[in-house]
Amino acid sequence: MPDFSLTPEQESLRDLARKFARTEMAPHAAECDRTSRFPEEIYRKAYDLGLLNLNVPAEYGGSGLGLFEQCLIVEELAYGCGGMTTTVIAHCLALEPILLDGTPEQKERFLKPFCAEYHIAAFALTEPSGGSDPGSMRTLARKDGDHYLISGEKCFISNAPQASLYLVFASTDPTLRHKGVTAFVVPRSAEGVTVGPDEEKMGHRASSTATIRFDNVRVPASDRLGAEGTGFSLAMRTLDQTRTPIGALATGIAQAALDHAAAYSLKRETFGKPISEHQAIQIKLANMVQAVHAARLLTWRSAWLIDRGQKGTLESSIAKCFASDAAFAVADEAIQTFGGYGYMREYPVEKLLRDAKLTQIYEGANEIQRIVIARELLRGYG
Amino acid sequence: MEIVVCVKPVPDAETRLRAAADGTTLDIEAVKFVLTGYDESAVEQALLLKEANPGSKVHVVSAGPPPRTEEVLRASLALGCDLATWVEMPPGVAPDPISAARALARAVSAMPHDLILCGKNAGDDEAGVVAGALAELLGVPDHSAVVDLRWDAASSRLRFQRSTEAGMETWEAPLPCVVALQQAWNDPRTAKLPSILKSRRLPIAKVPPEAAPPAAGTTRPTKFELPPPRTGAKLIEFKTPEEAAQKLVKLLKEEAKVFP
Repeated sequence: MPDFSLTPEQESLRDLARKFARTEMAPHAAECDRTSRFPEEIYRKAYDLGLLNLNVPAEYGGSGLGLFEQCLIVEELAYGCGGMTTTVIAHCLALEPILLDGTPEQKERFLKPFCAEYHIAAFALTEPSGGSDPGSMRTLARKDGDHYLISGEKCFISNAPQASLYLVFASTDPTLRHKGVTAFVVPRSAEGVTVGPDEEKMGHRASSTATIRFDNVRVPASDRLGAEGTGFSLAMRTLDQTRTPIGALATGIAQAALDHAAAYSLKRETFGKPISEHQAIQIKLANMVQAVHAARLLTWRSAWLIDRGQKGTLESSIAKCFASDAAFAVADEAIQTFGGYGYMREYPVEKLLRDAKLTQIYEGANEIQRIVIARELLRGYG
Repeated sequence: MEIVVCVKPVPDAETRLRAAADGTTLDIEAVKFVLTGYDESAVEQALLLKEANPGSKVHVVSAGPPPRTEEVLRASLALGCDLATWVEMPPGVAPDPISAARALARAVSAMPHDLILCGKNAGDDEAGVVAGALAELLGVPDHSAVVDLRWDAASSRLRFQRSTEAGMETWEAPLPCVVALQQAWNDPRTAKLPSILKSRRLPIAKVPPEAAPPAAGTTRPTKFELPPPRTGAKLIEFKTPEEAAQKLVKLLKEEAKVFP
């Protein structure tokens, strides 16, 4: 039989993240959401506590956690604020390709100084023409001696304004479509890099999102990750690692929505009794808690499989897709439980719906997840 | 300076508590035990003293049952304590304060100790007995309700303040001694993630429980009840502070009748 209990070590890590989320993040969540502020002071504290470079091995100055432990932490952080957690997740996402395909020399050179102090990274894959089709990439990397010249535009890039390091995907040969995609590590300070204004977003407003333009940015060939043309495979392998934490992030949002709704239902009275005593509300709460538990267990199982060295393509897509849909549905029902108050900005639940929405879109839209799920499913019957 | 800190695992304030089936103690099933309150202040004070006095060591000691005693020792190691000793007690309820003091005294007397820090009392039973009893058993003075403790190397004296109803007293005292600390005068640090991971791998010295503890003279709990649920609170819903004040005045006049 599988064992669903956490080890004392895992509990300690979860407690650390829980305390941080509830004392440092949550009190500022509404303000950062309202003003669309990137709370750098909070990420600096997260860095000091070891809650930022979650996926980087300890030998390079990171926390060196397995995916399961990362998911425990991400769920707790997202309970405090989904938007702030997106900054952490997008940061880890940008470092993952270096961990996967960086040479020992590159890991040493990029990660050690980067993790030795507070820094933010950004993952630059998506382009204005679409994020789910890297084969049609228009950002080009032209070989120039022992350098490349990168030109093009990346959009919707989380952390773009604050990051000091970009993980950039560009085509070294557009005729090869996705087989021409190559990954580069580009410092923000490189000449020819311009970052657009912060986008006005529906949710995750504590995180920053912007366009990055590259105008003939000179990048040494030694800053290329892997061989030319391996970038698409690297991006996919990266997302295989980072999809599961999106499930954890969505679970954290869903748990927060459930907790708000349940607590409110015990306080709010209609027809002479708390609304928790009306079956209409009980049924809502019962459905919400089922969705939260299922989302968490699917996320845990996916993380557990990947930690055991399996690819987990099917399981991570199921976890991300289910948990994000669950988060949206649970936040929706939380608003309904609050009634008119739930629609008001003064109460916390409408933010949860706006935050949940993005989890259905980013790191592979749920439509793409369903294509992957169906493909993996049918493979077993073919 | 050899600093010893004595800590006790107490139920997390966020845990939902209930009485055990026999009605004499807290039901520890599903209770999460943590390092908290005065003990947390004591650990923080020990670490501040260590940082201010290079070459000092902090040794954390706890007497209690598994697994919670090990967990608060690991939490203390994660915060920066150098060594940990666990006086193992049988699984189940915590020892009564005198038994705890005896167990701690046995462990502390076997290790180097200049200064012994304790929380003023534990957050669960609020007994406040251990520090005084421990000092008596070790044959050293004790100082209670202490805040802001410093070591003056020039005069080889501890300098500290005691917070009392009458005001703030300033004292100095020689070592060795037991000091029982007040809560919340310092801001206890949070253990960092790498320290938490490292603390899991550090050794904890184990001291077996006393072979034949004295039976007479020990106390025994006879009943445990949770406080009755609070009733009578009234929430005022309002849009503006003016509306809240008006509603409150109306309630005070018409329902509570506290003024005409």
